[in-house]
Amino acid sequence: MLETLLPILIFAALGVAVVGAWRRVRLWRQGRPSAVPLLKGLAALPRRYLVDLHHVVGRDKVISNTHVATAGGFVAAAVLMILVHGLDLGASEGWGGVLGWLLLAASACMFMGSLFVARRRRHPPARLSKGPWMRLPKSLMAFSLGVFLVTLPTVGILPAGFGSWVLALALAAVVGWGLAEMVVGMTWGGPMKHAFAGALHLAFHRRAERFGEGNRSTGLKALDLENEAASLGVETPADFTWNQLLGFDACVQCGRCEAVCPAFAAGQPLNPKKLIQDMVVGLAGGSDAGYAGSPYPGKPVGEHHGSPHGPIVGRGGKALVDAETLWSCTTCRACVEECPMMIEHVDAIVDMRRFLTLERGETPNKAPEVLDNLIATDNPGGFAPGARMHWAADLNLPLMADLQQVDVLLWLGDGAFDMRNQRTLRALVKVLRAAKVDFAVLGNEERDSGDVARRLGDEATFQSLARRNIATLAKYHFQHILTCDPHSFHVLGNEYGELGGDYRVYHHSTYIAELHDAGRLTFAPWKGGSVTYHDPCYLGRYNGEYEAPRRVLEALGITLNEMQRSGFRSRCCGGGGGAPITDIPGERRIPDMRMNDVKESGAGLVAVGCPQCTAMLEGVVDASAEVRDIAELVADALVAAPSEETAARHRPRAVEVA
Amino acid sequence: MTKMLRRDPRREWIARNRLHPEHASVLREQGEGAVSEWLGPSGVIRKNPRAIGFIGPSGIKRIDRSGAQQGGQATGSSHQAAQDSRRTVTIEAPAFLVAVVPELTGGRLSGHDKDLLGLARRLADADPERPGAVLAVIFGQHKGEGGGELKEQAFGEAGIDRLLHLEDDAYVGFAPEARLAALSTVERELAPRHWLLPDSPLGGADLGRRLALRLGERPATGVWQIESDTEALSGWRCTARGAAESLDIQRQLPRVALALAECAEPVDETRHAAEPLSLTTAVPRALSRIEDLGQVAVDPAGVALAEAEFILSGGNGVKDWDGFHHAAKVLGATEGASRVAVDDGYMARDRQVGATGTWVTARVYLAVGISGAIQHLQGIQSCDKVVAINMDPGCDMIKRADLAVIGEAAEILAALVAKVEQQRGGQRDAA
Amino acid sequence: MQPEHQGVAVTVLVSVGRHPLTGRARRADQDARGLELALGLEERLPGSRINLLHAGPRCEESESALRGYLGMGAGTGLEHLTLLEQPEGADAIPALAEHLASATPQLVITGARAERGEGSGLLPYALAEHLGWPLVNGLAAVEKVEHGVATLLQALPRGQRRRLQVRLPAIVSVDGAAPAPRQSAFGPARRAQLEVTPLAAERDHELAEWAMAPARKRPKRLKIIKSASARDRFKAAAAKAEGGSGQVLEGVSSEQGADAILKLLREEGVLPR
Repeated sequence: MLETLLPILIFAALGVAVVGAWRRVRLWRQGRPSAVPLLKGLAALPRRYLVDLHHVVGRDKVISNTHVATAGGFVAAAVLMILVHGLDLGASEGWGGVLGWLLLAASACMFMGSLFVARRRRHPPARLSKGPWMRLPKSLMAFSLGVFLVTLPTVGILPAGFGSWVLALALAAVVGWGLAEMVVGMTWGGPMKHAFAGALHLAFHRRAERFGEGNRSTGLKALDLENEAASLGVETPADFTWNQLLGFDACVQCGRCEAVCPAFAAGQPLNPKKLIQDMVVGLAGGSDAGYAGSPYPGKPVGEHHGSPHGPIVGRGGKALVDAETLWSCTTCRACVEECPMMIEHVDAIVDMRRFLTLERGETPNKAPEVLDNLIATDNPGGFAPGARMHWAADLNLPLMADLQQVDVLLWLGDGAFDMRNQRTLRALVKVLRAAKVDFAVLGNEERDSGDVARRLGDEATFQSLARRNIATLAKYHFQHILTCDPHSFHVLGNEYGELGGDYRVYHHSTYIAELHDAGRLTFAPWKGGSVTYHDPCYLGRYNGEYEAPRRVLEALGITLNEMQRSGFRSRCCGGGGGAPITDIPGERRIPDMRMNDVKESGAGLVAVGCPQCTAMLEGVVDASAEVRDIAELVADALVAAPSEETAARHRPRAVEVA
Repeated sequence: MTKMLRRDPRREWIARNRLHPEHASVLREQGEGAVSEWLGPSGVIRKNPRAIGFIGPSGIKRIDRSGAQQGGQATGSSHQAAQDSRRTVTIEAPAFLVAVVPELTGGRLSGHDKDLLGLARRLADADPERPGAVLAVIFGQHKGEGGGELKEQAFGEAGIDRLLHLEDDAYVGFAPEARLAALSTVERELAPRHWLLPDSPLGGADLGRRLALRLGERPATGVWQIESDTEALSGWRCTARGAAESLDIQRQLPRVALALAECAEPVDETRHAAEPLSLTTAVPRALSRIEDLGQVAVDPAGVALAEAEFILSGGNGVKDWDGFHHAAKVLGATEGASRVAVDDGYMARDRQVGATGTWVTARVYLAVGISGAIQHLQGIQSCDKVVAINMDPGCDMIKRADLAVIGEAAEILAALVAKVEQQRGGQRDAA
Repeated sequence: MQPEHQGVAVTVLVSVGRHPLTGRARRADQDARGLELALGLEERLPGSRINLLHAGPRCEESESALRGYLGMGAGTGLEHLTLLEQPEGADAIPALAEHLASATPQLVITGARAERGEGSGLLPYALAEHLGWPLVNGLAAVEKVEHGVATLLQALPRGQRRRLQVRLPAIVSVDGAAPAPRQSAFGPARRAQLEVTPLAAERDHELAEWAMAPARKRPKRLKIIKSASARDRFKAAAAKAEGGSGQVLEGVSSEQGADAILKLLREEGVLPR
């Protein structure tokens, strides 16, 4: 009897799943077109899944192994089940019997995995979604156990026709449940949807260039402003590109993003997981009442609803997402870094911000003033552009306009207007002079890099600043750009390229490390207390530079007391993405939490490499640690330059310009 | 009785004769500080250089030439002399009139008014052969509450020769149409050669522009300097600010000019007649299309920070926020806050002062328990007077403050509130 | 006469502003506040119409500044601006007066002073005189418009307000006390239409005769000491400006501290009487 029931069940499930898949694809196709090489993407899928995705998943060994067992077992079991039970190949003698044994092994493996899944679901951490996800271990067990049992007669362990028809029906029901969850649910919604959408998302990912060893793709994509018909940002879910929608649908609600999100931890109304789930709600239409994870802090679930062509952010009333949710993001990319499904949260948030800023003019709090300042004075503070070099009146800095050609163009950034950052800049200039680096600054020709404008969604102002900066830079000859601002570093290095400016950009920590390696800097031994290092998001996660700052600190003779969250898991200072400007209230302040991390590390000094981080961390009241930029530490430790010969030997074809 | 001064000719003689053996002791008895300088019998100031200075701690004579020792008395007496030395000027038959319409805030001549009258005097007195008279047209506001008395002397001393005091209920409050009708009548009857008004937001800026257009003149606005210019028709050239203070416009001085504060030195050497004048014809009654419904009560705490003149700002050091709010109410101050106080939820975000909050331009900024982060100090850099109350004498806010009191914020605020309330209660009793 | 639900026809006169530091063209601050006032009025009185009016030359710089105003119209009915095109240096007043006389708005809102050119703040007065309409300056808010009468709040110094009623049609001018303008959005600004009407130039001859120069810094007035003694006068002239270093009262009782503060507050005259 099972022999007749099983093929019907299997092919019915497959048939329903195909219908579901077609419907799901139609939902994604509501999005805007996006040119993706489909076949190439599919071909790259196994590698992206097995290498890139598991590189992220593998950060948690238990879960990784659980997933390998469960998912691997399932994929094998499903394929074999179609062969063995669907096409009835298992009954044949010879290699058909081997298939049956393999199917037994696969389902057993899957069952083992599902036991671990069940154990995890016993006391799930807050970041995991509940609801339908709580039944997943049972469904997994139903599928694996059911398949295991129905295969026993096939391989001859049990006699064919064992038990009564009641048992057969019961087994068929269990297998049916398993098939419904595991196969039908994959395309009709439910926990297993992540497998189907996730696989396609990996294949058709918007940033194909981020896959592969050591590759990263973090620059925002430019809006087409030339074409007046092109829409500015994302108003409705359907305004995302189709592969972005597909990406949202791939979310497994594991909540790793929620666990690392600084805004969520600060009690600001943002939870990256909920945001992605809201996009899924919008994509299909309906209310967020079915969401079973942590809500946005302070915002109860069930009050928001949306549709594919309805606005995401309501004007006045509530829609899918509240604007303050979008403005809470610091663009620190911690969520993207942690996401095992490679979802691009920051891209989505900036896309939606672009609409709010460019079409609605609803950038909150001080942001309109900052944007107006950027338009009128080329710096966010509204300072006179001619005052950019006032801090260096006594330093006699060489100007690009005078020299035309140098090795290093020192990009000062808007920190030049900030009295705190001027100390860092002075220190950096001292270090460069000590190493006899041939450098010059743009002086008053420099403008804001456009970082803040872009993260606030004002693509028009960003592009205007960027194009003018690129035109200025095109006038001069230099080997590379050096900056002590990771935000400028990222924008100049990763985002100007799309607008026609390709530069080799160094962060000062990298450059100092290279100077030290070349023997051009000598340091006095460190005499201070214990030190920890705070990784700036735009240096670390955005650009992968975790090593150079640590090498510099090591060269200074400092042994680091690493914070619990450092490196790619570093917690944001709260200063990125215009967050201090949009200033969405929460229960705590992000820099306070970060300073607390510093305190827990026991360090009396925190080394940083970013003017934003310096400002945010120094703004913490009653802080336990001092905040110093790496450049300052290096400048303080400088001792007389090494002898002339050694310097000359190491100096890479320096051009002496008097 | 004991206060009566008795002359002792012998002592005076000893005091004059510095060779007399008792000279020094007599001088010391005569007074605390006035020993080194006195008015001689012939009216000439006499000095005794030996009596200058004091014996320092090391027993050596010290002379402090900063004037700190006796400055107060010296300037006091010279001030008196200046007051007394005002020359009385009466212009009987003026060749022309320079009409001034002062803003008269609170019923008194403001500093701006006095500068303007100084400017009017320059125009009137340019030709000593044919002097003009300065005519002030004032609207009777002093009857209203808190108006104070219009002292004839103050008008004379500010340089007014003729005073036209118009009193009518129609001029009370915002009544530009009635006032314009009155000024038009003045123009018809007296035909002044110049009309001068202060270019102050709710003083003459409005009325002056209305008047100019009614007279068909193109006025100079934002005038801050005049020079005589023989080529010009009026004999004067003026420099006026244009384009939001970014431009200086040089042009002939037109008949109607609206001048900025400090456009000229106020009159301080002469006293004028301030002779009352009245119109012979009645001012026509214009039907007003604008009706003044009176002032609206505004809660000072809610005034926009950027507009506020007096800000009471609280920071991390404020522990008693109820007391703080009460103090703001009693002092009539607008409330501000440091970033920390806002972050901690004690104050609304729109109350934050500083580079990342609001840049304020208050006349007095009273910072309570604010240590003075650099961003905060940037935000208050254009405040006139900064007063700080703080526990930590070394903090940056104390360095910036014009007056700093080190101590417990709550206690000092409470004492301040008590004093203000007590003073106000006293006034009420007296009234 | 004017049922409330019909709303009011408002014309906002806008000019090309000038950033005080860089001199770049932008929305003039006061005009933008005027438009904000009008947009607020439109929200409260449905059916109100807002027209933007500008007279002046048309060039890239001024157009981007004018579009700045249109960018404030996101989500409102504000989609075009009437530009009376005139060459540089032409007198805008006759052109505007003529246009307003034929367009017959009920309320005309302008900024108090332009940020370029003469900037004398005469324009609203000239228009009022031309059209014979009442004018209210220093407007902070429009409370209501009923039966052809507008109830307004006028700003007085120190954040005080005065309530006025004015019969429409009227001209009102706003300055810094009016509500801060909303953000100008790029999209609506780019899409909006400029309705250009070329006009014959009426040269402003008087303006052409004046000498214009960037503003000089005004000399700081010295405290004049009328004193017979040369030493006193010298001291007054040479004395350091006050406030170089503040007075610090340490170790005093809170009473004494309060006294010192009270004295300063009285000297500055900030305490309410």
